[in-house]
Amino acid sequence: MIINENLSEINDFNSKKKVIILLKRFAKASFQRDSLIIRLIFITACILVAYFVYYFIIWNIYFSFTDWIGLIQTSNFVGFANYLKMLNDPIFWKSFQNSLIFMVVFIPVSIIIGLILAIFIDQKIRFEGSFRMFYLLPYALSFVVTAYLWKWMFVDDGVINTILDLLGFGFLRNAWISNPNIALYSVSAALIWQFSGYIMLIFLAAMRSIPTSHIMAAQVDGASGFKLYTRVIIPQIKTSTFTAFVILMVFALKAFDFIWILTDEGGPGWATSILPIMMYKVAFKSNRFAYSAAIATTLLFLVMMIVIPYLYITYRKKS
Amino acid sequence: MKAKQQTALFIIIAIVSTAAVAVGVTYVVLAPTPGKEANAVEIYHWWTSGGEAAAINALVDEFSSQYPNTTVQQVQIAGGAGFEMRVKIKTLMIAGDPPDTFQVHAGYEWKLFYDAGLLSNIDNIWTDNLKSVIPDVIEDINKGPDGHYYSVPVNIHRSNVVWYNYAVLNNTGIDPSTLTTWDKFFQACDWIEGNGTATHAVNIGPQWTQAHAFEQILASQGIDVYQAWINGEIDSTSATYYSDLLAACGIYNDLLGYTGTPLGSWDDATAEIITGDVAFNIMGDWANGEFYQSNYNYTRDYGTMAVPGTNNMYGLVIDCFEKPKNIDHPTSVDHWLSVVASKDGQDAFNPLKGSIAARTDANLSKYGAYQTAAIQDFNAIDASATSYMYPSVVHGSGAPEAFNTDLAPIIGELTSGSASVSETAQAIATLAQTYSSDFTRTWDLGGS
Repeated sequence: MIINENLSEINDFNSKKKVIILLKRFAKASFQRDSLIIRLIFITACILVAYFVYYFIIWNIYFSFTDWIGLIQTSNFVGFANYLKMLNDPIFWKSFQNSLIFMVVFIPVSIIIGLILAIFIDQKIRFEGSFRMFYLLPYALSFVVTAYLWKWMFVDDGVINTILDLLGFGFLRNAWISNPNIALYSVSAALIWQFSGYIMLIFLAAMRSIPTSHIMAAQVDGASGFKLYTRVIIPQIKTSTFTAFVILMVFALKAFDFIWILTDEGGPGWATSILPIMMYKVAFKSNRFAYSAAIATTLLFLVMMIVIPYLYITYRKKS
Repeated sequence: MKAKQQTALFIIIAIVSTAAVAVGVTYVVLAPTPGKEANAVEIYHWWTSGGEAAAINALVDEFSSQYPNTTVQQVQIAGGAGFEMRVKIKTLMIAGDPPDTFQVHAGYEWKLFYDAGLLSNIDNIWTDNLKSVIPDVIEDINKGPDGHYYSVPVNIHRSNVVWYNYAVLNNTGIDPSTLTTWDKFFQACDWIEGNGTATHAVNIGPQWTQAHAFEQILASQGIDVYQAWINGEIDSTSATYYSDLLAACGIYNDLLGYTGTPLGSWDDATAEIITGDVAFNIMGDWANGEFYQSNYNYTRDYGTMAVPGTNNMYGLVIDCFEKPKNIDHPTSVDHWLSVVASKDGQDAFNPLKGSIAARTDANLSKYGAYQTAAIQDFNAIDASATSYMYPSVVHGSGAPEAFNTDLAPIIGELTSGSASVSETAQAIATLAQTYSSDFTRTWDLGGS
C-alpha cells in the first residue's frame, strides 16, 4: 500500500516535472528564436559597417602609401614619401596649427558658456522650457545655412559692424573674416554660438541627475548659491564635462563645411585652413589623392589619440 | 554543438540576406531605368543663375528643334565656379559611370580626364567648315597633346575687362579711354578718391577674383611674360621673367591701396559699380548680365575698358563640351556637340550669356551693345599680328589645376597683408617649381 501510494506520488511528481521541463523547453525555444533575430540584425549591421567604414579606412591608409595622382588609381608603392612630403609642407603645418588654435579656443569657451547657461536654466525659472529651446535652437540649424548667415554678418557693412557703429563702439569695427589675425577667432565665435546650447543640454541633464539628497545635505550644512555650485554640483558632473570635451574635440577636428563657406575655402590665404579643408582641396582640386589620403590618415590618428583614452577610461570605470 | 551549428546557420543566413539586399539595390541603381530612352542625352553644367540658365535653355531648345526625338536631361550643380560640379564629375569618372557630357573650360581643365584616357576624340565634329570659322588660338586650346580634338567651344568670355559707372566718372571728368597704363590708372584713382563721389576707386571680391585681377596685371607686363608664366618657366627667383612677376605683384599691391575690404562674392563687387559706390571693377564679361538685369545701358550708364596695359589683348575664358568614353548615349552626344558648334546654337546661347560666339560668322544683329563691341575687339585682335589672346589661369584653361588651386590663397595672403610683395612673387615661382610635372603643354601665344 505504502509503495503504491509512494509510486503514485512519484508518478505525480514525475508528470509535474515533465510539464515543468516542457514549459522550460518551450520558453527556451522562443528565447532562441529571439536570439536568432537579434543575431541576424547584429551580423548584418556588422557586415555593412565593417565594409563601408573599416574596409575603406584601411583602403585609404593603403593608398596613402602609393603615388596616386589624377583619375587613374595607381598602386605604385612609395613608402612614406607622402608623409615626408606632408611634414615638409608649410601649408600642412599652418593647417595643423590652425586646427590646434581652433580647438584651444572653441572647446573651453563652449564648455564654460554651456555650463553657465545650464546653471542659469537650473534656477527653476519660469518659461524654463522656452529658454532651453531658445538656447538649443542654433544647434538644430544646418551648418551651411548658419555659415552663410554669419558670412553676411561679418562682412564690412554687415550686421556686426553696423550695430557696433550704432552703439557708439565704432572703433571696434573690424574686417572679421578678412583680417587674417582674427579670422580664426571669428569662426570660433560663430561655432561657439552654434554649440553652446548642446553643451548646455548635456550639463543640464547631468545636474538634474545629481540626487537631491546630496544637495539637501549640502544646504543643511550651510552651503548656498556660489559655494553650492562650485563645491557640490560641479565636481559631480565631471563625466559629463569629459563627454562634452570629447564631442567638441572630435567636431573641432572635422569642422569643414562651416569654415569652407564662411571664410571662402579657408581664407584669407590659409588663415582659417584646418586639416580637413586642406585634405579636401588636395584631393579634389589638386587631384593628389595619395597625398590627401596621407593627410586623412594623420587626421584619423589625431582623432584616435583622443577617443581611445576616453573609451578606455569609460570602460575601465564600468568594469 | 547545436548552438555552434545554429550560430553558423545564422551567419550564413545573414550574409546571404545582406548580399541579396546589396545586389538588389546595386542592380536597381545601375541598371537602365525602364523609362530611359535610347534617345536621350544627359548634360552636366553649373549655369544656374538667371542669365546663364536662360542661355543654356535656349541652346537646349535649339537642340530639341533639330533633334526632337532626343530627350535632354540637364543636371545643374551650382557652386564654386564649377568646382562642385567637377568634384561630382571626377567621382563619377572614377566610379566608371561617366556622364554623357559636361561643361568645362577648354585647356587644362579637362586635361586630367584626358590623361586618364577617359575622353573620346571628337575630330568628326571639327569639320573643315568649323575649323575655318574658329580662330586658330581657340582651335588650338581644344586639342589634346596628341593633336586630336577633345572639346568644342560654345563661347568666348573676355577676362581682362574693367567695368565702370558712367555717372561716377562723368563727375570726375576722367576719360577712361586714356587710362592705358597703370600709372595713369592710379593717378585717376587718386583723383577719384580725393574728389569724386565714390568711397573707393576699386573693389575686390573673394580670393578667386583677386587672383583674376592679378593674372590680368601679369598679362599687362607683356605677352611673353604671361606665356612664360603659363608654361611654368617662371619657377625661381633667377628665372628670366621673374622681375616682371615681381613687378606684377607690386602693381597688384598698389591696386589694393584703392580697395576696401574684400567682398563676399563677385556679383556684390559688380553691384557696387551699379550703385556708384565704387568707380572700377576688374571682372570677366559674365558681369555684363548683372548690368543687363539692372536695366543699365552700355555706354550710357556703364562702360568697359581693357585692363590697363592689355588693350591689344583678349583674355580667353572658353566654355566647352566634350565626349567622355563609355557613355550611355554616344550618338546623342555627337548631335549635341554639333549643335553646340553650330552657328544657330551659338547665336541662341551667347546673346543671353553675355559672351561672344566662338565662331567668327556669328549673326551680329542678335547681340547686345557690349557684345557687339567685344566682337569688334576680338576680330581686330585676331587679325592683328601685334595683338594677342591668352588663356585664363584662374578659370582653368591656361595652367594646371593644382597650380591654379594654390594661386588663389597665395594672392589672398598678399591681399590680407600676411605676405609681402616679394614673398608672394617667390611663392608663385615656387608653385611653378612644385607642380612642374603638371605643366605638360607649351603655349605659343604669338609673342616674341
